[in-house]
Amino acid sequence: MHIPDGILPLSVGLAGYGLAALGTGYALHKIRQKEDPRSDVPKAALFTAAFFVASLIHIPIPPTSVHLILGGLMGVVLGFYAMPAIVIGLFFQAAMFQHGGLTTLGINACLVGIPALLSHFLFNLRHQRDWSNKPVVVTTLSFLGGSLGVLLTTIMATFLLLSMLPAHLDHDVARTGIYVMAFSHLPLALIEGIITAMVVTFLLRVKPELLKSETNHVKSDSHIDM
Amino acid sequence: MVGLKLDPFVHRNSWLHQWDPRYKFIGLMFLIFAFTLVQEVHLIPAMALVTALLFLQSSLPWRVWLSRLLVPAFFLLALAIVLPFFAGETVLWQLGPLALRLEGLLAFLLVAGKVLSIITIVFILFATTPMLLVIKAMRSLGLPELMADMLLFTYRYLFQLQDDYEGQSTAARLRGYQNSTSSLQTTSFLLGTLLVRSYEQSERIYKAMRLRGYGQHAFYAYPFSAESKDRWIFLLVTLVALVFALLG
Repeated sequence: MHIPDGILPLSVGLAGYGLAALGTGYALHKIRQKEDPRSDVPKAALFTAAFFVASLIHIPIPPTSVHLILGGLMGVVLGFYAMPAIVIGLFFQAAMFQHGGLTTLGINACLVGIPALLSHFLFNLRHQRDWSNKPVVVTTLSFLGGSLGVLLTTIMATFLLLSMLPAHLDHDVARTGIYVMAFSHLPLALIEGIITAMVVTFLLRVKPELLKSETNHVKSDSHIDM
Repeated sequence: MVGLKLDPFVHRNSWLHQWDPRYKFIGLMFLIFAFTLVQEVHLIPAMALVTALLFLQSSLPWRVWLSRLLVPAFFLLALAIVLPFFAGETVLWQLGPLALRLEGLLAFLLVAGKVLSIITIVFILFATTPMLLVIKAMRSLGLPELMADMLLFTYRYLFQLQDDYEGQSTAARLRGYQNSTSSLQTTSFLLGTLLVRSYEQSERIYKAMRLRGYGQHAFYAYPFSAESKDRWIFLLVTLVALVFALLG
């Protein structure tokens, strides 16, 4: 789900950059509120690199194969770091593989990053009423977070592409093409949901502190407020 | 899996390689944004000419350029089927139910010209500049410190994690793992292991860095020293971009 260079008009590209800057600025603001914002930089960067490598994995869905987007999982694992991480991942993809583009970097960052932040908020619901002790709730929330990431990205991209069709051309075929592209992402939403839930279950079993950092920060923040 | 390579062509000797990275970054960004503004088909040859000139000057191997077109080629192929045969009124040529239409053909040429030109220029930008210098250039142009730090660290560990992952998946394959929808659990565990290893390594890196004073404001050494030549090239490229933006 990467919109390449040269398709969207300049205004949309620039608006994408503006919106992505706002989103990243908000995330950085939240990160700077932590006691030592730089302490998590190596962790976030290594995860960004890990997600970059993971997004090169292709899963065969006959007749084609899809590569993982992992926006939802990034939101779940990285929290607010997901937004800068996604901008960075997309930047490297555009620079090293011509996958996506530099003029569309902002818009692609919004398409993946905003759903990732929403997945983060959704996954954080587990702190409500001590749900974090209930494996079923945590698994369900991470599944929803993972699928929601892909679904929202697909819905936003579909609307964007439909609204960008040139006015003077006959749209039926292009519209069908866009719908086919959108529907072909539905299995991916399911797959990413399953993968997110499995990775979260795995991490909770093997390295639970990796997912706990957000809780600790929330607690220490509220402690300072008091 | 695509192999990652670390800046293989940055040590050649064209003026594009020597151009100050800050000016190169902004100048070429202006150019690609100007290209996105082009809506007139008759500007495509001029755009292709400017791009071809830059590419020839960069002394980059055309085979590598060709291999970089693989991802966008799929997209262009889909457009080449859809636009010229289904969009538009004026029929240029007809064979049975298949009709080549003028408006669709022009729309395709416009998009293909823009996509190819922009991709080539992005390729030139990153193939003639070491990534480290691109990041330092962006930092000196106002990229927040936290983002610059993350970019540098990510780039530093991309290659190592790629190797890690290849090692893990080779080990898994030797035990009968196949990447398919029926082995999602194994794929997830591979991914989870990659994250755990990254996490443990980042803890060690952070401690080692704290010992060396990390946490204070980062000291970025900027190796840039722009000469008047760099500024003249920048001015020229910006002017070309402006012409395309105004005519487009």
